[in-house]
Amino acid sequence: MLEFRNIRKSFSGVEVLHGISFQAEPAKIIAIVGENGAGKSTLMRILSGILPDYQGEIFLNNNLLRARTPRAAEQVGISMIHQELNLVQDLSIGENIFLGKEPTMSLGRVNFSKIFEESDKLLHEFKFPFSSKTKVRNLSVGWQQMVEIAKALRQNANVIIMDEPTSALSESEIILLFEKIRYLKSLGKMVLYISHRLQEVFDLADEIVVLRDGNLMGKFETDKISRDELISLMIGREVAEESTAKTGGNSENLLQVHDLTLTHKNRTILSGINFSLQKGEVLGIAGLLGAGRTELLKFLYGEFPADHSGTISFMGESFIPDNPGKAIGKGIIYLSEDRQREGIFQHHQLIFNSSISALAQFSTVGYIHTSTEKEAVNEKFGELNVRKSSMQQKISTLSGGNQQKVLLSRILLLNPRLLLLDEPTRGIDVGAKQDIYQLIEELSGKGISMIVTSSEIPELMWICHRILVLSQGRQTAILESSKTNSREILHFAFQQV
Amino acid sequence: MKKKFTTFIRENEWTKPAFGLIAIFLLCVIFSPVSNKGHLIFLKFDNLTNVLRQVSEIGVISVGMTVVILTAGIDLSVGSVLALTATTTAFGLMDWQLGFILTIILGLVTGSLAGFVNGALSSWGRIQPFIATLAMMTAARGFALFISNNNSRNIGFGEGAAPDSFKIFTSSFLGIPFPVFIFIFVTVIFIFLLRKMRLGRYIYAIGSNEEAARLAGLNVSWIRTSAFVFAGLLAGLAGIIHAAQLYQGNPNDGIGFELDAIAAVVIGGTSLMGGRGTMEGTFIGVLIIGLLSNILGLHGIQKDFQLMLKGAIIVAAVLLQERNWRFTIRWPGK
Repeated sequence: MLEFRNIRKSFSGVEVLHGISFQAEPAKIIAIVGENGAGKSTLMRILSGILPDYQGEIFLNNNLLRARTPRAAEQVGISMIHQELNLVQDLSIGENIFLGKEPTMSLGRVNFSKIFEESDKLLHEFKFPFSSKTKVRNLSVGWQQMVEIAKALRQNANVIIMDEPTSALSESEIILLFEKIRYLKSLGKMVLYISHRLQEVFDLADEIVVLRDGNLMGKFETDKISRDELISLMIGREVAEESTAKTGGNSENLLQVHDLTLTHKNRTILSGINFSLQKGEVLGIAGLLGAGRTELLKFLYGEFPADHSGTISFMGESFIPDNPGKAIGKGIIYLSEDRQREGIFQHHQLIFNSSISALAQFSTVGYIHTSTEKEAVNEKFGELNVRKSSMQQKISTLSGGNQQKVLLSRILLLNPRLLLLDEPTRGIDVGAKQDIYQLIEELSGKGISMIVTSSEIPELMWICHRILVLSQGRQTAILESSKTNSREILHFAFQQV
Repeated sequence: MKKKFTTFIRENEWTKPAFGLIAIFLLCVIFSPVSNKGHLIFLKFDNLTNVLRQVSEIGVISVGMTVVILTAGIDLSVGSVLALTATTTAFGLMDWQLGFILTIILGLVTGSLAGFVNGALSSWGRIQPFIATLAMMTAARGFALFISNNNSRNIGFGEGAAPDSFKIFTSSFLGIPFPVFIFIFVTVIFIFLLRKMRLGRYIYAIGSNEEAARLAGLNVSWIRTSAFVFAGLLAGLAGIIHAAQLYQGNPNDGIGFELDAIAAVVIGGTSLMGGRGTMEGTFIGVLIIGLLSNILGLHGIQKDFQLMLKGAIIVAAVLLQERNWRFTIRWPGK
């Protein structure tokens, strides 16, 4: 039994948790939901000892808990599995499971046979198809996540916290992960599960804890709350869910891809890609993780080094993507799925992050006219509804959704013709997602074409005119959004698996 | 007013080292030896300009080093390049009779070329800057020894020797030595470059997140190379100043200058991880090192102790900057 009593937490004088109290029982899966900045991660980081300074009390089995370090929390049976996994890529599964707690023999030698023997036992219990001697680097992200869970089990964790575990997983991996989470529950463990994806929450959780702006909005049993009720509790306003009438673009062809095949190091990455894109059309790309969605977008941006065959024509001319600079020159711009690693300059100001690609517009002979720059960026920030306190603010101080909007302002400053949006709504809150859907619709109305990927099929059906389905690098279908459904899309996505 | 002031401090990273500089300056005044006439020797005009003159060589190098470090690189070759261009300057004036202008150009081009090779090896050769410039550090020294046949070359003036115009490097205007003007001029130019020019933004961008910079359409290879060219160019300029100050080109000079420059950059608050830091900070870092050497020198404290203190200052400066110390300034009244 875990109890939070009146937990308050401030960052540099700003209170972000305003007295959270609730109880949670073992052998339950408890989802923690809320918009970005609602305080979900903060609360969990307090529990796992990462943030030791807070007011209020946490009781574990009626004992006051005050973990000052993650290690101390682990010792009382609380383990957190982070979004960014903490595994050593070049060590084996077994070595990772025992990292820092290696059994030793005389002279301090590590007892490897014991490590691998015990790990194998654990992996067997977990139905792992790998030996514990496999290097973690060779596992997919999904399986790496399972290694983290095994590690937590090995430490006799009774409370396991998972922060957005599915954000980088494919549909099939998610199914597998859920199986393991349910297994944890059957062992009597408590699983605290942070997620943005409501579908998952309803599929998996026994109870749902809703946070909004650092306040507890309530704890509900999953079957006693509807999806709409949950959303309005999370964002505090009604979400417009009406479907938009999607008329395709205006018949003028912008991009034509004919029989494109990509090979990289003798491995076929993509094959049989055939599609055309009209001005103002939004094409969705669906597929499981590893189906080649990112590779296709990056190739069109000149970022993916691969041999190709087939033809691509852009605005009626043959086009061979070479490097991002040239693609930008043609009005083709890519937005990465990995905001932290490939998007933001985290130590820099909002204006720096926004204008970096478009500086040529604001400068003569290399000299930047800062006032023109500021004006243009400000206008875009206004259009995109970026919530900021000043232009000089560092981008790392913004929430995920607002960071994404800054990156969108970066690509919109370039007057794009074709946007390649890779998971544009990953890891951002419901409100910002709505803003981005609306933006895509507006841009489409202005004649800008888009290719969008998403792991959430309902989202694709919502924003796209047509959906191209990839399965293991092969194009298996192009479907009209209005005439298809998730089941059909999944059917095509699994076709080659 | 209060809010403006605190925002200004927060948003301008160089204010932290600036406080350090003010503190050290005040300490120098307090601990200044007093002349028999009762004046503070430290505060004498001659002494202060002397501080500036002594740091101007390292200062010019540090400016280039800052640019490279901002791109998340490092340039270990600047000391050797300085020795190389000091040597080409002496030989250019004395043996090859190139005259003033051509000799200067020769020095600057030599330095830039070394920088270009560093940049090209790092960018297109995909060799880590540490290794590429380590190779250049060795090779440039070797080339300097080759040119000079292992000897230093003295610079004399007159018929068949150096032209008198070269004396400009040892002259003073308004009591301030010429190299000081060069140092300040170079600093101002590069502050302008980093703050106002596209290239400056790009340099910060590739140091902050190279992957993101490439996806934003920047030509990372050329930007990095240009940073190394600046470092080489400025090392070349420092070599010319060096030769002029000592009236000789010695291929064995400049050993360890790269580390002094890195120290100044770090004291000035620039992160060795790249992407964060300012030229103003480096200017302050250079002055802090200069003031300390000066006050210790005035007290007749020997090099051994000076070096130990310098080590301590580097550690203190980095600790003060890396930790997020909060300075809450309480204003009277509220």
